[in-house]
Amino acid sequence: MQFPAAAKPPVGIVFDSAMARIDDVLALAMLHGFDGKDQARIAAVAVSSGDLRAAQFCDAVGHFYASATTGTAAMFMHFTPIGLADGKPTAESTMFGNLAYPNSIKSINGTADPATLIRNALMAQYDQNAAVVLSGPATDLARLLDMYGVKDWITRKVRLLCVAEPAIQADAADAEKVFADWPTPIVTVGRDIGEALPFPGDSIEKDFAYSSAHPVVDAYRAYEPMPYDAPSWAMAAMLYAINPNDGYFKLSGSGNRRDLLLDPEQKERIIRTYIEMASAKPVPRKPRRPPDEKKDAKKDEKKEDEKK
Amino acid sequence: MITKKSLPRRTFLRGMGTAVALPFLDAMVPALAATRSSNPPVRMAFVYVPNGIIMDGWNPDYEGPLGELPRILKPLEPYRQDFTLFGNLTHNTGRALLDGAGDHGRCCASYLTGVQPRKTVIDIKAGVSFDQIVANQVGKQTRFPSLELGMEDARQAGDCDSGYSCAYTNNLAWKSETQPLPPVLDPRALFERLFGNGAALTPEARARENLYRRSILDFVSDDTRKLETGLGPTDRRKLDEYLSSIREIERQIEKAEKDNAQIDPHMEKPYGIPADFAEHFKLMTDMMTVAFQSDLTRVITFLVTHEGTSRPYREIDIPDGHHPLTHHRNQPDLIEKVTQINSYHVRQFAAWIAKMRSIREGDGSLLDNCMIVYGAGLSDGNRHLHEDLPTLIAGRGGSHFKSGRRIVYRKETPMCNLFLAMMDRMGVHVEHFGDSTGRLDALDLT
Repeated sequence: MQFPAAAKPPVGIVFDSAMARIDDVLALAMLHGFDGKDQARIAAVAVSSGDLRAAQFCDAVGHFYASATTGTAAMFMHFTPIGLADGKPTAESTMFGNLAYPNSIKSINGTADPATLIRNALMAQYDQNAAVVLSGPATDLARLLDMYGVKDWITRKVRLLCVAEPAIQADAADAEKVFADWPTPIVTVGRDIGEALPFPGDSIEKDFAYSSAHPVVDAYRAYEPMPYDAPSWAMAAMLYAINPNDGYFKLSGSGNRRDLLLDPEQKERIIRTYIEMASAKPVPRKPRRPPDEKKDAKKDEKKEDEKK
Repeated sequence: MITKKSLPRRTFLRGMGTAVALPFLDAMVPALAATRSSNPPVRMAFVYVPNGIIMDGWNPDYEGPLGELPRILKPLEPYRQDFTLFGNLTHNTGRALLDGAGDHGRCCASYLTGVQPRKTVIDIKAGVSFDQIVANQVGKQTRFPSLELGMEDARQAGDCDSGYSCAYTNNLAWKSETQPLPPVLDPRALFERLFGNGAALTPEARARENLYRRSILDFVSDDTRKLETGLGPTDRRKLDEYLSSIREIERQIEKAEKDNAQIDPHMEKPYGIPADFAEHFKLMTDMMTVAFQSDLTRVITFLVTHEGTSRPYREIDIPDGHHPLTHHRNQPDLIEKVTQINSYHVRQFAAWIAKMRSIREGDGSLLDNCMIVYGAGLSDGNRHLHEDLPTLIAGRGGSHFKSGRRIVYRKETPMCNLFLAMMDRMGVHVEHFGDSTGRLDALDLT
């Protein structure tokens, strides 16, 4: 990945989830929406459940949102691998049963070790310009903390860990370790928040209709009999991690570990943002400058200077 | 011939200004006393090619036992039982990591150091390369702790890639984080280093050699005769083959010097450097063979051409520069030319492997006791990718590696994990190197 050295990009998000509930899928879609609008960047996506189909789904979603990019930009587009926890799947969702979207993962070797992936992704972030969203067992993050020298990278790069609390209880020991050892502020999203902010099921039929084949829509339909509204712990965590200062939520208490509080006045705005970002259309990405176009780049810079 | 007295491993044939080390002979192993310490040593080498590789021509579409090989690796097909092909090894520290353009500088500087080099043309900083960590320990047992070799003349200062010093693109080995070890390019200089009785031949010996066009073997003929009388027939044949190979190297150097003088007496290259790429490659690898065979060193790095090079390959009718071609933008004709360059490199490498394989040592071949990594710091040179780096190891590291396979690891697996595993085989044990996350598994016979 290459970024211009001068401008600080929007926050880089590491999303580590079990990808076991529709909430995780919607949070992933929302992350792509923010990324498409240049309000966040996808630094890494990891699946902690060990479910290969979930990793394939995440990859397929990435390809879906990249589908609007064509030409030279597509040629130089680079897909960051999906992280997948090793070992026997702790959860296998029925959401991905009929996955028929293009993806590049054929076996576990097509995925990355989550801790290594996240470490590598953090190294590419500007200082204090990354946030980690955890919506699943804390196994991957506990392993990340065990890696040599990584705690320093986390301290330097990450401004916040945002945890969808109901999802981490499957692995109490690792959750305890992460809460004890994680070196940045932690914000937790309780069960009540997710339940109070349901994602409206009718949005699936309405707002995603721009595409006749949408992986998020298919997963939503497969998750539970339609129609249904989905609780949104992971979405709330994602929204706060990307926009902590935009007044969507309040925080309890003080110190390094705080809870997300719902401001009832913001409920409608939050759900509107959920819908807007999760259903955002794929947008063409800016061409990443091909490596041999230094001369062209200089010409561009000259033109810019002339304009000034 | 069975004797209880053994020939010391460090036996040299000496003469005026020369010291010719010997290969591993049966006479160096005390009869009926085969111990672990009498096993041939494990050696390692790195052969680095620049500008990435056309990966469609490199990666087979299967894992496990090596069968039919893709086009670029085809020259290695006869030796497929002798090497291991890796998939998905990554150098994260070669990536931009906020430093912008300059992938060629970064990928070369991070290749053996495992660290992100400082983006600068003045106060360079990378890290101690892992070959030097090994050389610092096992190098005490050999005449040269390590050899740094190359084939392309290149400057060591100035900006070679978007703000990265030429020191980054033109060196593989780093003795300290600020001191790269520039490669020796001139076969004559290397020859004299290997067989001189010090840094180089004495002026008298050089003068005498030049005057009479004599071989260094003439200078050590007395020692050779004395040694031969105490050797069995197998060792005598082995010694004869070894000395013949040295003589052949001398002839090649002389030929290059003669040819170059005829081509252009004002050429910038030292006279000993053959104008032909394949001849130069053969000469350098022949000397690497001898250096390993006679245990002059156990660590070699070989920068075939420097990273980002725009060298044309007229030898195979490609007058275009290598680097510009690699930015092919998926144009088939350009991809074809890069594939031909990649294949040409592998063809030279395969010839070396064949030679290493043909030399008997201990219970196997010289190659068996080596780990020769062939690879590049970029995979896709068009997009400058630092993952799934083209990497193979020829040899078995002294019967450690189960070769003849393609092992695909998980994506993002650090290349430094391979280095840790190799350090173990070299008897150098460290817990972390670069961005390693552990030792590469699935390599061993067990």
